[in-house]
Amino acid sequence: MENSFTPSEFVSVVNQTLDYAYSSVLITGEVASFKVNQGKWVFFDVKDEETSVPCFMTLYQLKMPIEDGMKVMIRGVPKITKWGKFSFTVTAVKPVGEGSIKKSFEILKKKLTEEGLFDSAKKRGIPEDLTKLGVISSTQAAGYADFIKIINARWGGMKVTVAHTQVQGMDAASQIVKALKYFNEHGDVQMIAILRGGGSADDLSCFNDEELTRAIAASKIPVITGIGHEVDESLADLAADVRASTPSNAAEMLTRDRMVEKQKIKQTMLRAAQVVLKQTEQLKSENNNKVREAFKRIQFSLSAFENDLKQKIKMIEMLNPEKVLSQGYAIISGKVSPGSVVNITTFKNEIEAEIKEIHDRK
Amino acid sequence: MTENKANLNDKIKELDSRVEWFYSDDFKLEEAVEKYKGAAELAKDIEKDLDELKNEIEVLAEDFSK
Repeated sequence: MENSFTPSEFVSVVNQTLDYAYSSVLITGEVASFKVNQGKWVFFDVKDEETSVPCFMTLYQLKMPIEDGMKVMIRGVPKITKWGKFSFTVTAVKPVGEGSIKKSFEILKKKLTEEGLFDSAKKRGIPEDLTKLGVISSTQAAGYADFIKIINARWGGMKVTVAHTQVQGMDAASQIVKALKYFNEHGDVQMIAILRGGGSADDLSCFNDEELTRAIAASKIPVITGIGHEVDESLADLAADVRASTPSNAAEMLTRDRMVEKQKIKQTMLRAAQVVLKQTEQLKSENNNKVREAFKRIQFSLSAFENDLKQKIKMIEMLNPEKVLSQGYAIISGKVSPGSVVNITTFKNEIEAEIKEIHDRK
Repeated sequence: MTENKANLNDKIKELDSRVEWFYSDDFKLEEAVEKYKGAAELAKDIEKDLDELKNEIEVLAEDFSK
């Protein structure tokens, strides 16, 4: 027996069947007839050489800019509208292929730059005393393993809280956004590291997601990104406070090297020892100088005393009567009056003589 | 472990402060040997911490795909 439906019932049954058969479908194709209505509704077609699929989505769900000619991957569900038209309700869209990804990147970069999202004045550095770190990455990814290996080799004593998320694919960006929100609301961390190792432009395209870029820029906790390789630049990198070129580089930037630290401590102690040694040498040198100075003074005093003594001896020698007599002088003793006898002492003789006459000299 | 790390950072700061004394106007040669001995012991302690401290890694149970 054939089923009979009202139009509404029929569309409802078809939609139920479609939903059962294709609850989530991925379609890859080229965008055509892209338009936004009333600033809310997005309409476009995704086509290949032969067929075109009409698509509908909300502007809110559009996380990366797309335009006609771009190759995209869309996720959604097929549906018959109440007007009996076929439509594909899109829940997520992302550009695919290097050209489309680059174009989308440039459009969004320009827009967000103009909004000031990447201003360097807003950037915060890595906390000096980092002991609590939040990590957003896939715990199965090689980049994550490298990161953990390097931080463990370089430093210890850190509490690292890891939020496991996808780091590629259509759901990655929204999962990373949720993890960022989690850390900002519940996580007791000083910095958040978003990590993902190298990959193709398609693999890394989730890091150009507008919502993710905005969430990074708005994070109350500083964010460091270590995404891809040195040459890869994503909007997430531009919005982050600190950009590391790779997960390994992020590990190096976030931790001190314990070997270097030990070396620094050794150098510090060596320099302190040198200060003590230098001061000791200086004191010794000062003491030696003082002793030398004192010795010089004593020498000088002795020399002056010796000269003085020599002078005095000379004077005493000059006053010695024998010396005077030796120079031909004589000493007369006795009463000096005519007729009296006086003694005359010369260097060689003692003479008795009588005074005959006395005259004044002048 | 985080507490240990905090202690390690405190110890490094303490060492820096002790070493600064050697370059300061407060430096006295007669006190220097004792001060140096104290700083050297602290330095040794820090080196030991640096060798032994490990990071604590916790993967959250939250499912961010939902």
